[in-house]
Amino acid sequence: MKKITLLALILFFFAKMSLAGEVNVFSARHYDSDIQLYEKFTNKTGIKVNVVSGKDKALQKRITEEGKDSKADLYITADAGRLGAFDEKGMFQNSMSAQIKALVPANFRSDNWTGIAKRARIIYYSPERVSSEDLKGITYESLSDSKWKGKIVIRKSNNIYNQSLVASLIKNNGKEQTLEWAKKLVSNFARNPKGNDRAQILAVAAGEADLAIANTYYYALMLSGQKGEDQKEAAQKVLPYFPNQNDRGTHMNISGGGILKNSPNPENAKKLLEFLLTKEAQQHMVNNTFEYPMIEGVEPHHLIKKMGENFKQDLKTKVGDYKKNQADALEVMLMSGWK
Amino acid sequence: MGNKINIWFLSSLLISMIVAIPIVTVFSSFFEPTSDYLSIVKNTFLYEYISNSIILVIGVLITTFVIGVGSAYLVSFYKFPGVNFFKWVLILSFAVPAYIYAYSLTAFFENYGTAFSIMKSLFGDGNYNSFLPKFDGMLGAIISISFSLFGYVYVLTRTSFHYQSQNLLELGKNLGFSTKKTFFNIILPSARPAIIAGLSLVAMETLSDFGAVSFFGISTLTTGIYDAWISFDDLALANRISFFLLIFIFGLFYLENLSRKKAQYHSPAKGNFKTKTLKQLNGYKSLMAIIFCSFVFLASFIFPVLQMLYWTIKFPKHFIDLNIIELLSNTLILVFLSGFLLIFLSFVSNYGNRISKNKLLNILTTFSITGYAVPGIILAVAFITFISWFDENIFYFFDIKQIFIGSILGLVTVYFVRFYSLANNGIKSGYLKINYSIDESAYLLGYSKLKTFLNIHIPYLKNSVLLIAILLSIEIIKELPITLIMRPFNFETFATQAYIFASQDLLEAAAAPSLLLIMIASIFILITSKYMFKDK
Repeated sequence: MKKITLLALILFFFAKMSLAGEVNVFSARHYDSDIQLYEKFTNKTGIKVNVVSGKDKALQKRITEEGKDSKADLYITADAGRLGAFDEKGMFQNSMSAQIKALVPANFRSDNWTGIAKRARIIYYSPERVSSEDLKGITYESLSDSKWKGKIVIRKSNNIYNQSLVASLIKNNGKEQTLEWAKKLVSNFARNPKGNDRAQILAVAAGEADLAIANTYYYALMLSGQKGEDQKEAAQKVLPYFPNQNDRGTHMNISGGGILKNSPNPENAKKLLEFLLTKEAQQHMVNNTFEYPMIEGVEPHHLIKKMGENFKQDLKTKVGDYKKNQADALEVMLMSGWK
Repeated sequence: MGNKINIWFLSSLLISMIVAIPIVTVFSSFFEPTSDYLSIVKNTFLYEYISNSIILVIGVLITTFVIGVGSAYLVSFYKFPGVNFFKWVLILSFAVPAYIYAYSLTAFFENYGTAFSIMKSLFGDGNYNSFLPKFDGMLGAIISISFSLFGYVYVLTRTSFHYQSQNLLELGKNLGFSTKKTFFNIILPSARPAIIAGLSLVAMETLSDFGAVSFFGISTLTTGIYDAWISFDDLALANRISFFLLIFIFGLFYLENLSRKKAQYHSPAKGNFKTKTLKQLNGYKSLMAIIFCSFVFLASFIFPVLQMLYWTIKFPKHFIDLNIIELLSNTLILVFLSGFLLIFLSFVSNYGNRISKNKLLNILTTFSITGYAVPGIILAVAFITFISWFDENIFYFFDIKQIFIGSILGLVTVYFVRFYSLANNGIKSGYLKINYSIDESAYLLGYSKLKTFLNIHIPYLKNSVLLIAILLSIEIIKELPITLIMRPFNFETFATQAYIFASQDLLEAAAAPSLLLIMIASIFILITSKYMFKDK
């Protein structure tokens, strides 16, 4: 037992031994390029960045349970709905500096958290089987049209990006109308939902469906050749299409973060967040993750640019509102038989 | 000796209490207020969780039964080219966790996946996607879990065949039975307890699997508890699902225990054990046996290894970027610390039980070993919840959260809870073989209890301890959900590193850590194989 006590004490001191300048990040974003960014930040400021990555909700649970003793300074995740839900529990502090507010458009942040990169959830089609005439003026709403019967693929309803997309539809069209829409959409499915976003795009390339709904970066990832030559060629058989260009614009979502209520190093966390929104960091991020930059004056990756540069983004629906409708969105999807 | 309260009793009581923490935590929050999450969603989910879990378990049980018992039967009763090779390579499947199997399966069979690339390079352009089979969703989960778990059925069945197979084949022949009839009427019933024990272990592991099912997007009772508790903060629903899960698991546990007892009863005493003669297979029968065993070996081990190797070679950047030394040392630190703690404390607890012969303690130990049946992800969160409650309500004058949450110590503690039953049962079965009269003789010789323990029990149990230590190591190397939640800052193992890449849809980057994980676990298995089958 002596040995164990000793061991416990040693580990305890290691745990306690914190450097003066550090910031602790809990991240549900798992990009290697994020780690490289943190290293750049350390080189610049001398502030050490400690990271725990993991599943989004499990990290939230850990932060919540640690309570006032939590060592977490900054929480980073993908999806605005998740940020909003965590904020609603009072886990973030009011910490958006004037600098951040000036850089990030108001509908991609709140007073307590901010987006650091954007992505669009768009339509992909097979140019062999779908003409541009068919697509003209297409909206998320019009995907329920019976002309698409048996032709659409999208992932499961338990996916958070789908929940946010449907939440934004509920916000704009109401719950009842969205339920009707979802029922018709489900009857247009080419197969039972399965696989991730990339699998939906590949299904169109393979001829299993004519339209897919997926986030923008998956497509660019394949085009980049990081998934091998065959998937690159497959992606080239499919083209992106940005819906709702004639009304509110294409559905946008974010990766983002906020400084936690019990953060022991809030100043350092703020510095890191501000650093992530510098041109240098944004450029590094979009070059590696194929997301859209959060700030003006940074060019997206050329593969993303090629997909369509000046499309109309939905700036009418605040991403902060996704949270309010996500539970309804899930209910709507389940009631419509969306597996 | 009666019910003496002494240091041994107290320490084993303490151990049992620690191990019981998560279950108590989950159920004590039964009456806490909950969010009024929409009831339609709740009901839809509950139905889906239960039906998916049942389909998954049945699918996995059928598959593991066929490949586990089939291969054990072939290598135990017949002689054919390569039989000795198959005997031990089939246990290598223990090195491949279900979630890594799932990555390989998806990568190989998806549209424009590895299988497509192979076809294309062999036969040129073509639309191979439409006729390549798709192993995803429920089917993918069943296959991944089956191939990574069939080893339990294989090992236990094989051991059982080995101990009672003197002349079962001959017996069938004498009775004028066909080979088929011999198999179904004599051989299968003779190994029934072992097969049931293996299948119950498989069922328990399947029910508590998180990695593979969440990768395929299948909602089961385990992901249901995770969603209800962690995503929706709905403790009432989480408890309801836990309740269903625990009913399943206690049932299986009971079945497994019962079968184990029968298995012991059935196996003859060591003395009258004859060497059996194996039947030589010839011609096409021998070929069929080779094909069956090769298929199982290729599908369970070679396939995921090759897929991971293919990627590691194709995208060497991910391998070069990997901090192998750090990942290895982190993994090994966890293995050694947890292994040492588990074995040491299992000894203390078993010895405590042995000398105090306390009924209450016995019941408590049995109850507390359910840690193995509770999904790791639930254990970890329950532990965190308990520690913060304890810190705020009882131990508020000292900050124990800092010591246990996000530290190696906390991580090792939850491993301890999770794997205690594995360690404890292993040592218990070794202990049962040491007759009480040996202890009494030692006391007569003036040995103290401690000296009896150190000088007599430990040497006696050396081999079973070694076996348990290695089994624990393999489990800890593969462990994912607990490590993910409990680990300190900047601390990755092969398992977490593979997961992190895979969750970002970078399966090709997950290949290198996955491959290393399989290699290290395989080394541990090779060391064990000597002990797993005592006939070698």
